[in-house]
Amino acid sequence: MPEAEYSTTARLPVPVIWSYVREMDNWARFLRGYQSHEKHGERDSLWVLKGDVGMVTRTVKFRVHVDEWGEPSRVCFTLKGVNEPMEGGGEFRLEPWTDASAAATPVPKPELGWFARLVRWLYRLFAGRTERADAGSGADVSRLTFSLRVKPGGPMGPMVDALMKPLMLPVAEELADRIMAELEKQHAKQTT
Amino acid sequence: MAGAPARWDLEADVVSIGSGLGGLCAAIGAHDLGASCVVLEKAGKLGGLSGFGGGEVFVPANDAMKALGLEDTLEEGRRYYEFIAAGYASEPHQKKLLDTMHEAVRYFGAKAGLRWKACQGLPDYYYPLAPGSKASGRYLSVELFDGKSLGEWQHRTWLTPIMPPGALHEEMYAWGGLAKVTTWDYELLGKRIAEDLRSFGPGMMAAFVKAAVIDREIPAFVETPVRALVADASGAVIGVRAERGGRDFFVRARKGVVLAVGGYDHNKEMACMFEEMPDWNGVFPAYLDGDHLVMGPELGAAIASVPPTNLALFYGYQIPGEEVEGRPFWRSSWEGGVPHAIWVNKTGERFCDESFYKEYQPKLRLWDGKKQEQPNTDVFLIFDGNYRERYPLGSFMPGQELPEGMVIVANTPRELAQRLEIDPDRFEKTLARFNANAEQGEDPDFGRGSMPWAIRLVGDLDYKNPLLGPLNKPPYHAVRLRPVSVGINSHGLKWDLDARVLHVRGHPIPGLYAVGNSAALLDIGGGYQSGTSNSRAITWGWVAGRHAASRA
Repeated sequence: MPEAEYSTTARLPVPVIWSYVREMDNWARFLRGYQSHEKHGERDSLWVLKGDVGMVTRTVKFRVHVDEWGEPSRVCFTLKGVNEPMEGGGEFRLEPWTDASAAATPVPKPELGWFARLVRWLYRLFAGRTERADAGSGADVSRLTFSLRVKPGGPMGPMVDALMKPLMLPVAEELADRIMAELEKQHAKQTT
Repeated sequence: MAGAPARWDLEADVVSIGSGLGGLCAAIGAHDLGASCVVLEKAGKLGGLSGFGGGEVFVPANDAMKALGLEDTLEEGRRYYEFIAAGYASEPHQKKLLDTMHEAVRYFGAKAGLRWKACQGLPDYYYPLAPGSKASGRYLSVELFDGKSLGEWQHRTWLTPIMPPGALHEEMYAWGGLAKVTTWDYELLGKRIAEDLRSFGPGMMAAFVKAAVIDREIPAFVETPVRALVADASGAVIGVRAERGGRDFFVRARKGVVLAVGGYDHNKEMACMFEEMPDWNGVFPAYLDGDHLVMGPELGAAIASVPPTNLALFYGYQIPGEEVEGRPFWRSSWEGGVPHAIWVNKTGERFCDESFYKEYQPKLRLWDGKKQEQPNTDVFLIFDGNYRERYPLGSFMPGQELPEGMVIVANTPRELAQRLEIDPDRFEKTLARFNANAEQGEDPDFGRGSMPWAIRLVGDLDYKNPLLGPLNKPPYHAVRLRPVSVGINSHGLKWDLDARVLHVRGHPIPGLYAVGNSAALLDIGGGYQSGTSNSRAITWGWVAGRHAASRA
């Protein structure tokens, strides 16, 4: 199953990041291929994204259900394709990222194959990915982790799986980095 | 035409404009005779139209089929080509094509690492009707090619959405054929995608890119469209004015410029005028702009043509929201030839053998002289519940929700006809007649099911009648179809037996060559057979490159 997890840190308090992440209207546009979303109550939403499957870009609709609002540190969700046989889920995790926690939990380095590395490099080169410096660790630093997994179904599932796999990490990286970059920008404005 | 610059940005002996099969074969052919070469490509990737297609190379009596024990002779091949040409080919051009193609194909096998294999079980289009036709072996394709060996070019070479990535011809047939994509081995295809093992056009062109750009270190520039040819006072072509990074980029060609830019599918004005159609839609990415028919005539080049009636025109559709290279993607439709499906025009009647495009193509172009209209340019694909249980629509598998705004659905044929605004009585009669015959495995009206090529490529090979089945189970579906082209156009530059472009006065324009789909189909004539575009691109590209390299 294509899946990816990406963590990044910023010199911002956890509650600030939480209040931003909690409201999907804030960051929906940062999701790669975003077209639209509709909220259907506290836990459900319908998303329309454009996504690449090999050479072809398809418009895909997903229903997203929030399984857990773990305020202020965790949102877990599941997703299901409306017009494509796909399902999956993911989570946002937030935590203070002190020197001690960083020392205790080394930042995992994703094991990437050559193809995934190349795709990530191309995304960074051509997709205008937000370049920002990770804040490392410290008393005033928080870490945001975004994970995503999508399992294509139907007879073509194994083939679509292979086509999607290299795209997952760039999607996770881009969303997390763009959220943090936006918050850092807002925070910088407030402090000047 | 551009004037010579004060200073050239780059100099070479031979410049290929276009990185498809013709352009790369010219570059390799010239290089191997000691010429320095450059390839200039408008798109951001190498491989051209050839890298987007099926990658079949049609060569009668080829070495690979002989190795398999499949019988064929050059004379039978000649007779078959003559049949396809229908009297519209130039005899010397066709003769030289047939006399040279084996040598060219062998050359690229031996010197450029092309691992040719014969497609077993795929008949000639017109088998067994045409003289000299064969049931198997004339189409060459390549063995799986490892895309990782392309290094920095791995992701700057074309893949294709129109053929299954990583599959081989014989595997497709063994898995049940194009119609039975539900039973294919997607685990295997997934592994091949992960390993970047390429087949079809992408595999073939990746092999040519490796041979030219990596093994021979021929410089290739992508996103470098050529805007004009540069000629000297005598009219000889001495270089090109390209555009690179928004600036002029002048490349000197000491010995020759090879125009290999494909056709003009995406130049609406040219396509409608030359192809005599009010509507023209291209399946391939939008780089086929007819540049050769602007740059050549600027220097007095002559344009030649064959009848557009029977080349390679299909019906197709767009899936809402589906794009390739940022533009809506036209899929060519084979679904009408599958059991439990038909096409009808606005009168509610069938008009062709939906499974065999050589039969339906002239009917697509039909004129109604009284109504002054083309009744078959706007038609409907019709299929029923049986179809949806067994077969896909595009990449939408059975059971999968069909895209909004694309498919019209009704519970009865009558209701469907009313929604399509076609005569319901006539539509019901059409279905009743087709169904009664299909139950018997027959189509006395249009002979659907009689052509082995169509059975092999379009049919459900596991079904009792691979191309025929009644439409009698609700719900009934309709998809509007439009004409779509795959870049095989009727007009091109006129050329001689050395692939030199001819002036309107009849003499060759020194230093200017045209190959592939930029060269008029003088060698093929009034018909088309899958794989002949590639065999002529290989042959004449090689001829052009060698001739240019040999110029003083």
